[in-house]
Formats: sequence, structure tokens, C-alpha cells
Amino acid sequence: MTPDDVPRHATRVRITSPQTGATPASRVRRTVRQEIDESTGVGEVYVRTIVRAQLRAALAVLLTVVLTIGLLPLLFLWSDELAGADLLGVPIAWAILGFGVYVGLVLLGWVYVRHAERLESDFVALVEPDDESS
Amino acid sequence: MSSTYGVVAVTLVSLATLGIGAFGLRISRTTSDFYVASRSISPTLNASAIGGEYLSAASFLGTAGLVLAYGADVLWYPIGWTTGYLLLLVFVAAPLRRSGAYTIPDFALQRLGSAAVRLAASLLVVGVGWLYLLPQFQGAGLVLHTVTGAPRWLGVALVAAIVVLNVVAGGMRSITLVQAFQYWLKLTALLVPLFFLVAAWTGDGRPAPAAGTGWFEPFGAPDAQGLYVVYSVMIATFLGTMGLPHVVVRFYTNPDGRAARRTTVIVLVLLGTFYLLPTLYGVLGRIYAPDLVGTDRADTVVLALPARVLEGAGADVLTALLTAGAFAAFLSTSSGLTMSIAGVLGQEVRRVPPLGRRLGGVAALRVSAVACVLVPVVLALVAEPIPVATSVVFAFALAASTFCPLLVLGIWWRGLTAPGAMAGLLAGGLTAGAATVVTIAASPEGWIGTLLGQPAAWSVPIGFVTTIGVSLATRRHVPPDVTRTMVRLHTPERAALSR
Repeated sequence: MTPDDVPRHATRVRITSPQTGATPASRVRRTVRQEIDESTGVGEVYVRTIVRAQLRAALAVLLTVVLTIGLLPLLFLWSDELAGADLLGVPIAWAILGFGVYVGLVLLGWVYVRHAERLESDFVALVEPDDESS
Repeated sequence: MSSTYGVVAVTLVSLATLGIGAFGLRISRTTSDFYVASRSISPTLNASAIGGEYLSAASFLGTAGLVLAYGADVLWYPIGWTTGYLLLLVFVAAPLRRSGAYTIPDFALQRLGSAAVRLAASLLVVGVGWLYLLPQFQGAGLVLHTVTGAPRWLGVALVAAIVVLNVVAGGMRSITLVQAFQYWLKLTALLVPLFFLVAAWTGDGRPAPAAGTGWFEPFGAPDAQGLYVVYSVMIATFLGTMGLPHVVVRFYTNPDGRAARRTTVIVLVLLGTFYLLPTLYGVLGRIYAPDLVGTDRADTVVLALPARVLEGAGADVLTALLTAGAFAAFLSTSSGLTMSIAGVLGQEVRRVPPLGRRLGGVAALRVSAVACVLVPVVLALVAEPIPVATSVVFAFALAASTFCPLLVLGIWWRGLTAPGAMAGLLAGGLTAGAATVVTIAASPEGWIGTLLGQPAAWSVPIGFVTTIGVSLATRRHVPPDVTRTMVRLHTPERAALSR
């Protein structure tokens, strides 16, 4: 096929959305806030999305706790070396259970809050795109 | 040891508590002030208050006593009490605040629209609260007896009287200030003597604790029962914290959901810092006070240490400081508990015709506060003393088996129904409650005793499975406004949706 066979400009078809061609009067854009406040199907989807995202974050924290603190008893039970080992003169089990775990818990909480707040900022930006202050 | 310092310490803490309470009285005027401090408390103040309220006698005295007796095995308790706040943070904190309810029964009513579930939740709040108050009062009697030689009933009566006065006088606003003050008092009271104790220990050439290897290792007796107990304690404390009445009510005093989350992270920092200390007291106790092991005075090891390690007036002053901290622990936890149970009971009382309906909100709260304290006081005077740290585990197990399913499923699952919630509260409450009663009354031995003594590992699954199963079977009872509820619980206040 050569460029000469297809006169591009002649065959081009304009594809438009029905809205773009409509008169300005009927172009009322429904806001996300309206969709949610009026409990439409679309609004429902927005709410389900944020609930699921927050639940995923919560479950990720739970899973982390189960796989770390939750496995510690088994780890100590199975490994006598670990249970008896020393770290700077302190038995390693005491160092982990008496100190390390608390540092981990605070870090996990901090990371979670940052994530949860970011999810909420995204949601606010979606609901109120004009509101720059939030 | 001279008892004068101890008397002075107890008197000062009591006066400070009442004094701050009276200051709160000046600024607390409306019913909203009384119940939730008008929801205007900053994250830092609120977090200190939560820490002050949460760190009970079990934390201040009980943890060190358990470490003294059992060693590394019991480090899971403070870990569980802290992790409980992390799970509360991720599953409950912000949505619960956004629900706008005062208490768990209020939440149940809002979410499910069922007065029956609300009533069941109210009764459970009172049950959990009493289980938690009982060891606080018993511990107060023990401490006052140890430090001053006064009869045990005097300590019980003193703490009960101050708590009631405080709640009756000031309500939540004054409680918030008192609690925040008491967190820092408790931390100081443990931290300062520890410096002197560790210095003396270093001067002695750092002797190691005299104990078998079992005491040093996380599993002294690595058998199936030991493992079961560890995991059951984990389940009870991880999931029970969110259901304790005095913990949950604190979240309504945050201005919004975001503040509720930030508050909880600060709480994690405060609790983590605090829990480093009792373990060290337990270890030092094993070195200097091994004779307390196996006696009912193991819980007093924190108070006994200064006199064992140091000499002269210095030891007396440090003991007095520790006594002050211990009393702060009794007062703060019992005040918070009494406030929250009285809040719930007060709202129920006002629904009872004909007398209750005539009571104002504040009057109902005051009447309830007295009633709430009387029962555990009588129990504390007649019941056999049990180690504080183990007895609070029953309160955690009961809360984890009932309120944890109600809150977590109510917040995250649209399918929860009123019959499902009711069945779950009954199933979890009856199993965990029966295990508690049987253990305290009959204390069975062997596997049965272990299973009943630490019921959470089986009663919490029963609570969840029953709630989910009955909810699925009664799908047509799903509240019609569940979508609106989800919008209110999970969307940020800034989004200004109709809630």
C-alpha cells in the first residue's frame, strides 16, 4: 500500500462523544459528591473503593504482626540457639521481646497512618477537585 | 521501712488527683463536657490521657511481679497490651470516631438500629468493666498494706472513694486532665528509681539473676500447653484492647478521625516507652528479692526493691515515689473505667420509666458511678486475691470475644445484622464469661484448666463465627441505611459529604 492509494484527509472520520457535540446547556457534570450523596451506583463504587483500600491497609498491618510477633514463639521454641544467644551481653530473646518489638510496633503504626492519610487525601481530591486547601 | 513517706506519697497523689479534678469541675458545664469533654482535646493530651488510663496496676506492678516469677515467658503480656493498640489503630480508631457515637452500645444502636443489641452491649460493658475494676481495687489494698501496714480494706475504700468523687464532680473533662497527669507521673515514678537501682547494681559488680535457664528463655516449659497459653494471651490482648470500655470511650474525645489515628500512634510511643521499665524491675527483683517468688507479694516487687538495694532515707523516698506511681495507676484506670461504665449505665438508667426518665443526664451519670463502684468494691473485699496481671486477662478475653467481632465486622462488613450481632455477643460472652467464672470458682487443673484459664483462643473464634454465620442466615435484616453508614464511617470529614 502506498501513501498515494489512501488519500488520508478524504477518508478521515470524526469520532465524537455525544456529549461533546451537545449544547452547553445539557453539559451539567455530576460531581462525585453528588453521586455519593444521592447513593447512585457510581457513588456506591467510590465508597466501596475507599473502604476496600483502607481494609487492605489494615489487613496488611495485621498480616505483618502475625508473621513477625505471631511467629516469634515458634521461632524461639524451635531454635534453642536463638533462645539462648546473647546480644551485647543481653540474651537475644530479652532484647527482642523487651525492646525490639516496641520499636517495630511504633514504626508499623507510623507507616500505616501515613498510608491511610494518603488514601484519604486522594479521596478528598476526587470528591472536591476544586478545593485546593485540602 | 518508714511508713510515713508512703502515707505522704499516697496523700499527695490523692490530693493532686482531686485537685485537678476540681479544676476540671470549673470548666465542665454541659452534658457533652461530662461525657466526652466536648470532643476538643488535642492528640498529645489525649494520648497522654489514654496512656495514663490504660497503664493499670497490672502494668505498673503486675508485669514486674510476673517477670520476677516466670521470666521471659511473660514478656508477651506487655507486648500484647501494646499490639492491641496497633490493631485498634488500623481497624477501629478513625471509623469509630467518625461514627459519632459515645460508647460501644451507641455504636451498636447506630449501626444496626436495634435496641436489644444496645442493651446486650451495655450489660457486657458493665461486665468487662467490673472484671477489670476488681483487680485494681484488690491491688490498691495490697499496696497500701505493704507500704503502710494499713488493713487491706482501707486501700480499696480509699481508691473507690476518690474515683467516685472525681467522676461525680468533674466528668470526662477533669478525668482527661487527671489521666494525662498520671501517665507522666507513672513514667517518672518508674524511671527515676531505676537509675539509682541500676547504679547500685553496677556498683555491686552486675550480678546475674539467680535462676534456672528456663527463666531466661521464652519457653521455660516448652510444651503444648505453654504454647497454647502464649497464643491465647496474644489473641486476648491483641483483640481485646479495642473492646475495653475505658479505651473505646477515649476515641470520642478526638476532634476527628484523623486526630484519632494520630493520637493512637502517640499512644504506641508512650506505651512502648513505659513497658521497657517493668521488665527491668522484674530482672532486678530476681537478683535482689528472689524470696518474693511464689508468694502473693510477688506483685509488690517494684515497691520492695529500693529498700533491698539501697539504704537510708534515699530508699524511703524512692519507695514513696513508686508508691505514688502505683496509686496513680489504680486511680487512673479505675477512674476511666468507672467513667465509661457509668456513662453507659447512665444512658440505660434514663430509659427506665418512671424514675429514670426524670433524671437529667448528669444526675444519671452520678447515680450510676456510685452503683458501678460498689459491686467491685464488695467483690474485692470478699474474693480471694489473684495476681493482677492474670486476672485482667479475663477482661481482655471477654472484650475480645464480644466487642471485637461487633466492632470489626460492624465497621468493615456490610452484611452484619442485628440478630447476628446479638448471637455473637451472647455466644462470645457466655463462653468467655463461663470460663472466667469456672476458673475463679473451681480453678480446675490440666488441659481443662489451661483452656478455661485462657479462653480467648477458642472463645474469640466462636464469637466471630457465630456473628458471621447468623448474619448470613438473616440477610434480610441488613439495615437499609448501611451504605450511608459506610460513608459516615469511612470518608474523611474534610470531604463534607452528607453523613
